Amino acid sequence: MKSPGKHCITAWALSLLLGGACVQAADNAAAPATPVVAAAAPAAADASALDQQVQDLKKQVVDLNRDLFVLEEELLFPANTQVAIFVSMDVGDFFALDSVQLKVDDREVSNYLYTPREVAALARGGVQRLYVGNLRTGEHELVAFFTGKGPNDRDYRRAASIRFEKGIGAKYLELKITDRAQRAQPEFEIKDWE
Amino acid sequence: MLRRASALLAGLLISVAPARAAPATDADKLAATRVQDLHYGDVLFHYFTGDDFEALTRLEAYQHWQRMPTHVSDAALLAGGMYLTLGLHNEAGARFEQLLTVTVPAGVRNRAWFHLARIWYTRGYFDRTTQALGRIDGSLGAELDAERTHLLVNALMQQQRFAEAAALLANWQGSPVWLAYARFNLGVALVRQDQLAQADPILTAVGTMNAAGTEMLALKDKANLALGYAWLQAGKPEPARSALNRVRLTGPYATRALLGVGWADSSLGEYRAALTPWLELHDRNLLDAAVQESYLAVPYAFAQLGAGAQAAEYYESAIRAFDEESGRLGTAIERIGEGHMLADLLGEGTGTSPGWFWQLKALPDSPQSRYLYAVLADNTFQESLKNFRDLHYFDNTLQTWSGNIDAFGAMVETRERAHAERLPRADALLADDRPAAMVGARTAVDTRLDNIEAGKDVAALGDATQRAQWARIRALEEALAQAGETADARAARDKLRLIRGTLSWQLDDAFRARVYEQRSAIRDLDGALNEAQNRWVRVQSARRSVPQNTAEYATRIAALNERLMALRGQLQQAALREEQFLTQLAQQELQAQQQRLAAYQVQARFALADIYDRASNAPAVTPVAAP
Repeated sequence: MKSPGKHCITAWALSLLLGGACVQAADNAAAPATPVVAAAAPAAADASALDQQVQDLKKQVVDLNRDLFVLEEELLFPANTQVAIFVSMDVGDFFALDSVQLKVDDREVSNYLYTPREVAALARGGVQRLYVGNLRTGEHELVAFFTGKGPNDRDYRRAASIRFEKGIGAKYLELKITDRAQRAQPEFEIKDWE
Repeated sequence: MLRRASALLAGLLISVAPARAAPATDADKLAATRVQDLHYGDVLFHYFTGDDFEALTRLEAYQHWQRMPTHVSDAALLAGGMYLTLGLHNEAGARFEQLLTVTVPAGVRNRAWFHLARIWYTRGYFDRTTQALGRIDGSLGAELDAERTHLLVNALMQQQRFAEAAALLANWQGSPVWLAYARFNLGVALVRQDQLAQADPILTAVGTMNAAGTEMLALKDKANLALGYAWLQAGKPEPARSALNRVRLTGPYATRALLGVGWADSSLGEYRAALTPWLELHDRNLLDAAVQESYLAVPYAFAQLGAGAQAAEYYESAIRAFDEESGRLGTAIERIGEGHMLADLLGEGTGTSPGWFWQLKALPDSPQSRYLYAVLADNTFQESLKNFRDLHYFDNTLQTWSGNIDAFGAMVETRERAHAERLPRADALLADDRPAAMVGARTAVDTRLDNIEAGKDVAALGDATQRAQWARIRALEEALAQAGETADARAARDKLRLIRGTLSWQLDDAFRARVYEQRSAIRDLDGALNEAQNRWVRVQSARRSVPQNTAEYATRIAALNERLMALRGQLQQAALREEQFLTQLAQQELQAQQQRLAAYQVQARFALADIYDRASNAPAVTPVAAP
């Protein structure tokens, strides 16, 4: 009687030996070594062609998304009336940020509650564009209220304000949270970028 | 690990210094960047919160507006990294080609190429993998150098360049772990070149090494299994059995090893011995192909031992098991064909976030899942699944924009209407050229003041009472001049002269202060007039440009809307093609399993028929005890 499994031995051996090389990192001890299984040639070709198409489409989406973002901002916040308010944090050892409230000309324009991930992003050097709006030319006042935990884990609420002149171009203001190491206290200031 | 690779890549591309940080001095690292452009900081904020798509969108938009003049090169490198994260390997590669020049520190450049090579390898672009690795100039450090060599070897092997792979590994030395991988890869490369005698000691070294940990134990099993089957294929069952016997009974390769050991025994005519591993296999999960084959192998061995009755019993049981399993496979294929697979796999997670680093972490509890382990673990399937998921995410994003763009259109229309309503009033206002008249009036006032000052006309700057008093004095002086030389008239003139002198002294005393006050008032007027003129110019400019702007916005909105609709259609078609491809992959896998079962069934039926034929023509055989 002929061995019923002979063809299978060939199949096993081939599938095993087609790949075999491993690219798992040495420190990934939890994961078993994964063989690089070569997919059937037509499937690989189909996948490659589809992947190329998908990449082209993704690039088109990125470009379109940029153009839509540009349109939205130019339409809603033209440069001659635009005011953008940014938040940055340097070190942040003496202050754990919870929220920022913004008032422009005594009118509340933003009240933002931070997630731990956003606070971490600020601590890593990110600068958040917290508010973007429109103001007519002339003098205005911005008041920012910072709420969080201060030294010794105490509830902490501080305000900073600035009077600024809005000219014809876009106006950028930066709310800076910094540590004043000598006094072991946080410091809040507003910088007028133009 | 790939997530770690992404973190490494991000780490080497992004380095932001807090204000107090000392400047970086390591020649192999990018200098830490102090954010100097607020908008670059905003990009980083979104990048650090994990919102890569938003970060990339803002980066591209801010680049368009040139709002990051200080961080041009940082932003370009970051964009390359984010394109990579979003799975746009071609774009990332093209950008890195341009950016990773000699101005970037060699260490950063090399690591960027290395990680790009890894990602291209995983994505199946093996030629690009070798090219990217070729761009590395110098060492990456001992650990990464080892991985780099392996990556290159694997890429060469995937391109069927086995001789180059073998040559690369021949004298390679590294850490014990990487050395084990190197030996394994070299052994496989040699087997693929039909150099089994040379491969044997190499794979044996891996298969007999002192190993600890799941990964190394699995590699050891894999080397033994590869060597065993290579010898079996070469018709050498004895060395095959030695290698296969070294495979653990509980590892991921146990079933295949048990099957192989059985075939090695069988090839040596030791059918009773072959029954030991095959019967062990027979009790395991029928989903495993090795177990399925054991359903034929066990009765085959019994038949070879002359135990026809037991053989027939096992064949009949195999036919029933194959039949049931084939039915279940049919149901699973049908369900996949109905389009349930991707919904089951992705669930609610479809379209919530894009990214190449997403991975399917758990299998759904669906009828077809149990058959799909192999295909789901396959790189091609995983990559296509990511693409499918990304396509849905992008379509959802564009759907949101689609709603917004309708609002933008309405906004522009409203502006056009408001402009049309205000136009007559604006035209009427602009028609009289009021600022020019104001400037003329201001010049007249200034000239008048000059004359007053030059003529020292102190009365001209008196207050209202003083000017009235001055006018009365002048009128009385004229009247008294006509009054003749009477005593009363002389007394009145003296009195009037005294009054005039007093008033004149008062006016003279206040004159300089009043001139200054008037000059100051004219300066204030100049400021107000200047502002009014500016506003006038802006109104004139707006009068001219608003219709043009709104028309331009309307055109842009229409063009973007057209692009958006077309792209959404393409995305949906591409998603459909990905879905069909994934379905096809899954169905092919299940159909292959079904076909294998069908082939096994045919073999079982033939063997059974053969046994019945022999039984009808021969005396009864004593049953054989199972080992």
